[in-house]
Amino acid sequence: MDWTPLILSAKLAIWTMLLIPILASPMASLLAFGRFKGKSLLDAVVTLPMVMPPTVLGFALLVVMGPRGYLGGLWEDVTGNRLVFSFTGILLASLVFNLPFAVQPLRASLEKLDPRLLESAAVLGLSPLSTFFRIVLPNCMGGLAAASILVFAHSLGEFGVILMVGGSIPGQTQVASVAIFEAVEALRFDDAFRMSAALIPVCFAVLLIINKINARRA
Amino acid sequence: MKRIFSLVLVLCLLVPSGAFAADLFIAQAANFTPVMKEIIPAFEKATGLKAQATYASTGKLYGQIINDAPFDIFLAADEKRPNKLFADGLAEKPFVYAKGQVVLWSSDKNFCGDDWKATVVNDAVKRVSIANTETAPYGTSSMKAMQAVGIWDKVQPKLVFGQSISQAFQFASTGSADVGFCAYSSVFTDAGKKGCFTVVDEAPPVIQAACVLKSAPHADAAAKFVKFLATPEVQAMKLKYGYK
Repeated sequence: MDWTPLILSAKLAIWTMLLIPILASPMASLLAFGRFKGKSLLDAVVTLPMVMPPTVLGFALLVVMGPRGYLGGLWEDVTGNRLVFSFTGILLASLVFNLPFAVQPLRASLEKLDPRLLESAAVLGLSPLSTFFRIVLPNCMGGLAAASILVFAHSLGEFGVILMVGGSIPGQTQVASVAIFEAVEALRFDDAFRMSAALIPVCFAVLLIINKINARRA
Repeated sequence: MKRIFSLVLVLCLLVPSGAFAADLFIAQAANFTPVMKEIIPAFEKATGLKAQATYASTGKLYGQIINDAPFDIFLAADEKRPNKLFADGLAEKPFVYAKGQVVLWSSDKNFCGDDWKATVVNDAVKRVSIANTETAPYGTSSMKAMQAVGIWDKVQPKLVFGQSISQAFQFASTGSADVGFCAYSSVFTDAGKKGCFTVVDEAPPVIQAACVLKSAPHADAAAKFVKFLATPEVQAMKLKYGYK
């Protein structure tokens, strides 16, 4: 059996998990602490990928990231490469798709933070940066861990969005879920079964870890 | 608020599901959708029966049929699956209802000309969309055309694969792929009219076969539909959308 789709899925999941805090953390803090007009609007925009059908989101991304879209056009001008049908392309799509799944747990753990802790830190003269590293981060470790692991599992199983912007290129964008779908369509049920069998224990382990983190936080 | 909610809930439950009942259920491969949208009203007018079609990929419909989906007739995009249903004793003998043709379609008028081979190997063409060569008959046919003229190995790095012929067209029509191997029928859609195409003569015609299912709940209606497919009226509709 060809393991490339599974390895590619793992690569996508790991990259998404590593990069998503950069996008999600500022968004989560803004939503947890921000007092501004249009906050609920921002909240809705961030959460949208969670409720939209993945194929609809995928099609929207295909249009935006295609060479005639704003993002895709800019990308092609700067790098000379096409954004859709590339690993970078599906990674970007995966980040957008996963954003709400990282923002929500992060935001919840930030909101649970005792404001008195932050006030004391300010009174004691701690800079915002050291407040973040010495107080916010250690207190939100659980939320961050939950977010990362959820995003990891979620990108491992991602199908609709990748199907739209990926183009199923073996070794570049043909992830496990797409390969399984294709195997079933081609009546290669054995291949589909083997690939699924390899995915299930990983997803199961991820759920066990999430439960463990949640139990410790409670 | 609660009262309104309950009212809505009750109304939803009361909507008669019988309103969607039909006399004939058709499993239709997606590429034939535009023609079918004309065939069904004509059939209903001619027979007074009500027909309902489900449009999906041949592979997906086949999977539903072997798992007892209650269809009467299966109009596939290939010969392989109807033949397999026949061999497994699940369907009557298949018959050919349409022959499709592969075209090279582009939204960029610069990429259309007499010579499709020159276009796909052109360096300005970075991405070429094609339907899955293993599962989609149009994909297989496109691959055979490239193999026949000896450019398959050269073009392969440029290929992006759609799950179906409609996805291959979608990649091309959004401009994400510069050109795409598509079905002749997609040229007649609203999006298809905005671009240009070259007929790929080297691509073998895509033989689309149909079969009446043994488990058909409405065998009489299915037989009438099979008869209707052979009428000159339907023949004219097929020609209009690039099928033979």
